[in-house]
Amino acid sequence: MPHLKDLYRTACLLLRDRHEAEDLIQDTYLEAWKSFHRFELGTNCRAWLFKIMFHRLHHVRRRLVKTSRVMTIDGPDGQDEVAAEPVVPQEIRDEDVLNALEKVAVEFREIVLLADVEEFSYKEIAETLRIPLGTVMSRLSRGRKLLRQELAEVARSYGINPRTKQAGAGETA
Amino acid sequence: MNTLSFDSKRCERIRQQLDSYLSNELLVETASEVMRHLESCGSCSRDLESRMRVRDALQRAVANRPVPDSVHADVLRSLRESQPRSFVRPSATRWAVGLASIAFVLLSLFAAQWFNLRRGEQLIASILKLGVSDHLICAIKGHNYPVVANPPDEIRNKLGVRYAVLLQVVQERLPGFEVLEGHICSIPGSNRKYIHFITRGQGTILSVILTERNGANLPNGQLLASPASAGLSVYEGHLSGMEIAGFESAQYFAFVVSDLSQNQVLQLARGLAPALNETLQSTAFQRLNSHVLNALFKLRHVIPTSVATISRPAVRFHSSNESTG
Repeated sequence: MPHLKDLYRTACLLLRDRHEAEDLIQDTYLEAWKSFHRFELGTNCRAWLFKIMFHRLHHVRRRLVKTSRVMTIDGPDGQDEVAAEPVVPQEIRDEDVLNALEKVAVEFREIVLLADVEEFSYKEIAETLRIPLGTVMSRLSRGRKLLRQELAEVARSYGINPRTKQAGAGETA
Repeated sequence: MNTLSFDSKRCERIRQQLDSYLSNELLVETASEVMRHLESCGSCSRDLESRMRVRDALQRAVANRPVPDSVHADVLRSLRESQPRSFVRPSATRWAVGLASIAFVLLSLFAAQWFNLRRGEQLIASILKLGVSDHLICAIKGHNYPVVANPPDEIRNKLGVRYAVLLQVVQERLPGFEVLEGHICSIPGSNRKYIHFITRGQGTILSVILTERNGANLPNGQLLASPASAGLSVYEGHLSGMEIAGFESAQYFAFVVSDLSQNQVLQLARGLAPALNETLQSTAFQRLNSHVLNALFKLRHVIPTSVATISRPAVRFHSSNESTG
């Protein structure tokens, strides 16, 4: 089954529930089957399947959001700080990075997954999520930074002092 | 105005571009500007390395998540069950039509995936070509190696402090091959630098080449030639009459290039990959930032432009030459 593993892993990381993720994947392939006449051979099949999955996910999320709202946005999109870059551990365990990702708000998490794991272009992400290109860029930047901040917490728990990193800010040759 | 505040602003502006740089979404001119700055700014360079480390860790962690076999079966079952049902028992013909429809859709999806794999193939070929080009131009056409192997200290000196440590790895992990030369080189018309080891063995010349990834990736999970140990995947290609095996390691692409057989090159790459990866991933290696690098490791060895036009046949050595050489 093409791209099933990619879709399933993304769904799990966004829904945090294996059964919900499995339902979503089944819905996605079913929808793909029904609307296959709209797919143009030679175009990006993976992007098309992700687009369907996120369309279905939007409905699932609307249902879930009635019971829980997961939002930890610190500021508006695009208001990213560039100073005081969080220091991340040299060795990052799978478990740490997935736990850190889970703490990132889903609006940012989904874009980080699409850009960094699935390696879609900004344009493909904008089309998949039906949001403007500028929003993709700002949310990706914010999402990556949130992830680094969460990993910096891990670094602190390992006893790594972030101050040592920030001492070199602004240094040029 | 002082220099510090000017540099800080420049760094701030560059850092705002780093996300797009990491995603390969910058225009060529802007990407070049970012690269130039990174070459001279240790702080921003470390920042980029940190971002790349997080991205690589995320890719690895997600790829390592298990997918239950039941998911595949459940999807197929749901597709089958979604066939319109009538109150009468469906005939064998209807079942056949239904299953044929599913088969058609799946075949079409596979066809679509094939197009994507072709794109993946092109990407892999373009990355593997980096290694083949350097091997052909520097080692084969340029003949930039001596008949008698250079002393290890001389090679280490040419490689500089950072890359000298790799010599031992190449020496130890390529059994039957002698390292004749190691240097940092580039191809005329390109700023890309290659850490190049030229070795001789099995009657021919073989190159081990490393070059910085600069944010590029081999397509994850596609067209793997062979899984190597330590979780590394080795990609194989046949380009310009050479067999090449390549893999990603830390911030580098590493290649083994020769005119040996595909199996031989793959086997050598598989033997080399884990140790090379371990060294490149090591904290001590990573700690050296590009700020220091640029000061220490200026291009030691630039291939003269003229060598690109020299056409020499691939050099093969026979055991008698090796013993007398």
